[in-house]
Amino acid sequence: MSHLRLLSSAPPQLTRDEECLDAFQKELDYIYRSLRRLGTPPAEVDDLAQEVFLALRHSWPTYDRERPVRPYLFGIAFRISAASQRKRRREVSFAVIETDEPGPGPDDALLAKQVRAHILSALEQVPLKRRAVLVMHDIDDVAVREIAAALSIPLFTVYSRLRKGRRELEAALRRMPSPAFPATPEGSP
Amino acid sequence: MTEDVPALSPETRALLDREREIPPLSPAVRARTLAAARAAIATGAIPAPAGAPAAWSRWAVAASLTCVAAAAAATVAYRHHQPERHGATAPAIPSARERPAPAIEPTPPVTPAPLAAASPSAAAIPSAQLPRHVADDGPRRARTVVTREELRLLRQARGAVARDDFAAALPPIAEHARDFPNGRLAEEREALHVKALVGLGRSDEARRAAASFAARFPRSVLLPAIRGMSTGSE
Repeated sequence: MSHLRLLSSAPPQLTRDEECLDAFQKELDYIYRSLRRLGTPPAEVDDLAQEVFLALRHSWPTYDRERPVRPYLFGIAFRISAASQRKRRREVSFAVIETDEPGPGPDDALLAKQVRAHILSALEQVPLKRRAVLVMHDIDDVAVREIAAALSIPLFTVYSRLRKGRRELEAALRRMPSPAFPATPEGSP
Repeated sequence: MTEDVPALSPETRALLDREREIPPLSPAVRARTLAAARAAIATGAIPAPAGAPAAWSRWAVAASLTCVAAAAAATVAYRHHQPERHGATAPAIPSARERPAPAIEPTPPVTPAPLAAASPSAAAIPSAQLPRHVADDGPRRARTVVTREELRLLRQARGAVARDDFAAALPPIAEHARDFPNGRLAEEREALHVKALVGLGRSDEARRAAASFAARFPRSVLLPAIRGMSTGSE
């Protein structure tokens, strides 16, 4: 009887797939946002999120559970975004920047969305490899060593990309009219 | 090394701080994504190589280099031994130049059968147990061939859907799914299936079929239409 009680009180064992799906589900908002930050158009985010899941499921048996999951997921999202952008460049000869955020409005929430759209537009102007490092370091607060591991690049390359990426982002924001960086009228000093 | 990295200006820092907050997904998007993920587990979908971990790419590069090196070594060895071989034994297979040009015969566009027979797994199974077009599951070349039978079935289904006779579309779709599970037109078949189910008002089945479609063909150009159909059927 005690044996039966023990059996019934044991926590349910998750299968590998369930465990992977659970991790995916918990970080779904983050995955979607990361894909957008990496320049994925809204119309493609659903598809790429599915690809992230498939890749995560594929690599789940070898994933070190001691490591934080977000940088790992970001690494996957980065590779998938890069492949998708290469494909898009082959298929479409002109760039189309889509935003799912609506235009300006009086509401604070809308204003926040507008600011987010503004940041995404500025990030679009930073090349993808440098943008990935910049987002991980300056938005997600991921340590440099973790970035190097997640993106499979040397530490020096992380610093180098961060340096260039920051400069490019600052320059992009300066070029764009915004509340933070008002457009400089032509002819003015 | 960190001294080389310029600090962000306070304005940019403030903007990036606003981006830290991650907006939650709508329940509909969340449900749709998770349904597709569950469907992918159920169907055993294969991941795209782009998202595989970095070790994958390193191994792929190593494997490619090994293949190139092996090919180069084989070429060198072949050239080195060629003069001796000319006098010894005649090559078993004549070179392309020595071979007589094949007679041009009118061939039908569909020739999957020899490939199916070449597969050892197919050869091990008695032919009576094989589906009519087993080659569709076999070598890649067979998958690129659209057979007349495939076209006929899909035309029937397409015609029925175009006439809004959705019930009539289901039998050819089912027949196609049975005979050509991985046929060249499988994507269109699955799309027609969703459309027929929506047309018949079988919303639950339509949603399941749409989720399965999304998992199997995540990059399909038909996907937005499929999603629109299955969502509209709710």
